[in-house]
Amino acid sequence: MPADDEQRHAARVQAAAGAAVLATLVLIAIFAPTIAPYPPQLPVARPFLPPSAAHLLGTTDIGQDVLSMCIWAARWTLLVAALVTAISTVLSWVAGVAAGFWPRLDAPATGLADLLLALPGVPLALLVVTLAGPSLVTVVLTLGLLSWPAFARIVRAHVLGLRARPYVTAGRALGASELRLAVRHIVPGTLGLLPAKIALTVRFAVFAEATLAFLGLGDPSTPSWGGMLGWAFNDPLLFTRPTWGWIVGPPALLITVTVLASTWLATGLEEGRRR
Amino acid sequence: MLRLCGRYLLLAAAVVLLNFLLPRLLPGDPLAAGSDETGDAAHLVLPADARARLVATYRLDQPLFGQFVGYLGDLGRFDFGRSITRGASVADLIAARLPWTVGLMSVTALLSAGLGTFLGVLAGWRGGRADAVIVAASTVLAALPELLIALGLLVVFAVGTGWFPLHGAQTPFGDPFGSTAAPFSVVVLLRHAADIVWHLTLPALALVLSTTAAFVLVARGAVRAERGRPYLTVARSKGLSEGRLLRAHLLPNAALPLATLFGLRLGQLLGGAVVVERVFALPGLGLFAYEAIRARDYPVLQAVFLLGSLFVLLTQFGLEVVYRAWVPRHAS
Repeated sequence: MPADDEQRHAARVQAAAGAAVLATLVLIAIFAPTIAPYPPQLPVARPFLPPSAAHLLGTTDIGQDVLSMCIWAARWTLLVAALVTAISTVLSWVAGVAAGFWPRLDAPATGLADLLLALPGVPLALLVVTLAGPSLVTVVLTLGLLSWPAFARIVRAHVLGLRARPYVTAGRALGASELRLAVRHIVPGTLGLLPAKIALTVRFAVFAEATLAFLGLGDPSTPSWGGMLGWAFNDPLLFTRPTWGWIVGPPALLITVTVLASTWLATGLEEGRRR
Repeated sequence: MLRLCGRYLLLAAAVVLLNFLLPRLLPGDPLAAGSDETGDAAHLVLPADARARLVATYRLDQPLFGQFVGYLGDLGRFDFGRSITRGASVADLIAARLPWTVGLMSVTALLSAGLGTFLGVLAGWRGGRADAVIVAASTVLAALPELLIALGLLVVFAVGTGWFPLHGAQTPFGDPFGSTAAPFSVVVLLRHAADIVWHLTLPALALVLSTTAAFVLVARGAVRAERGRPYLTVARSKGLSEGRLLRAHLLPNAALPLATLFGLRLGQLLGGAVVVERVFALPGLGLFAYEAIRARDYPVLQAVFLLGSLFVLLTQFGLEVVYRAWVPRHAS
């Protein structure tokens, strides 16, 4: 059907656009030391400067270069996103395959997932990161450990469908160990879910990291988009200064672009797979 | 039913246990800052008797189980300890801020569930142009963090146009409209109420926008899944009107995912409230939690997390009970 082709094409374009934006951000993050015109932390000019040739996005309340901060913050955001995604994906698969393939592990794994899903995530993350002290390690571990359950259930449902397939029975009859069956025969059948999981978790991590940093739970020694917004909001006179847009706008826009790009990638991949 | 109660009791117990264990499992010693061991001694050296008093207050001289029993006793008396920065009882501090957050969250939850279900059913039932527009708008809104939606509303409607106030829950120091009426008269009370509504509009709108989208998408999906079922064809062939078809036949069957979503969303709404209250400086639990984070006021954060989680669990439990009573098919 031509309409179907058209939709598949649209999904592909959407996924490609999302991937292109994310790839650009990754390049910016990798080459941050070369691209950024100033050191991101140090006061390099007068505070509250509007954009000019020397400072393309103006300066903050203590004279830091906003453009340099935004570039360096991409590094931090993408690092957090990559680590959180890695932890969360591995946990989703371990828990999902364990729960789906070994009936004895089903109740504990599913129970733990249900508990984490029932708890309000942001307040829990706020409590844990505050207690442990905000740093790259605590933020990444907290977000990674909190974000696996939803997808673990999807993996589990998939594994339940695969478990009864004849090739698994055949493998068992040939004397393959249970672990080998799980790793060699079950896991490959679930890898079609991987791109969607990665795109969704990148989105979640950017979203959650920005929220934590906005609430003062970022690494205080590293610039981050959420942290820049939070810092701006600590100034009670923020909106009385004519240059507030140059302090609030760039980080807000960058968070929006990153979140939307990963959403396009996720929905594009999902639709492309379904049709 | 018994299994349901057991499940939620278990979840509640896990929340209480987690809240007790988290600060004790994570590294760090609350008294280390005042001792010689950390090298922080230059700031403050606790005299031995003060240290002993702190140890006794926090029951650190008892074994873990003894601490837990004492903790449960405190919870039974609604004693959440004292705020480190304010010195006052956490329970009192929370009680003073609770109404703002409860008001904001209940209005938002009901509005977004109602509006989202309506739009989702409309999109799923009608299809076509309306469907495409509603789905596209919801997908974008569902993707954006509360932080950005709140920020956008603040920038456009408070900073830009000045139609709404920048911050706070009411105009400080009395009547914003310069009333000359006697204090406590009906007119002044009404104006005060209007003032509060005026202040809460943008925060509530931010939460409604970010929450409604999920309801739209789930309601639409549920309606589309039920739309082709034979029971609807039978009902239609009986000559029932479309409205009655929807209300009496389709909605009860489509309601389960919506009820589940409502329970799950409540937890996210609580997180959203923290962010939105911070953006609009609304003096509720969320802003309180934010201030506690900045001051590392652990008892406050723990109480907010505990009460928030128990409230979410209780609502989920209530929803499930109501739903089972309404649609007996799922009661098994």
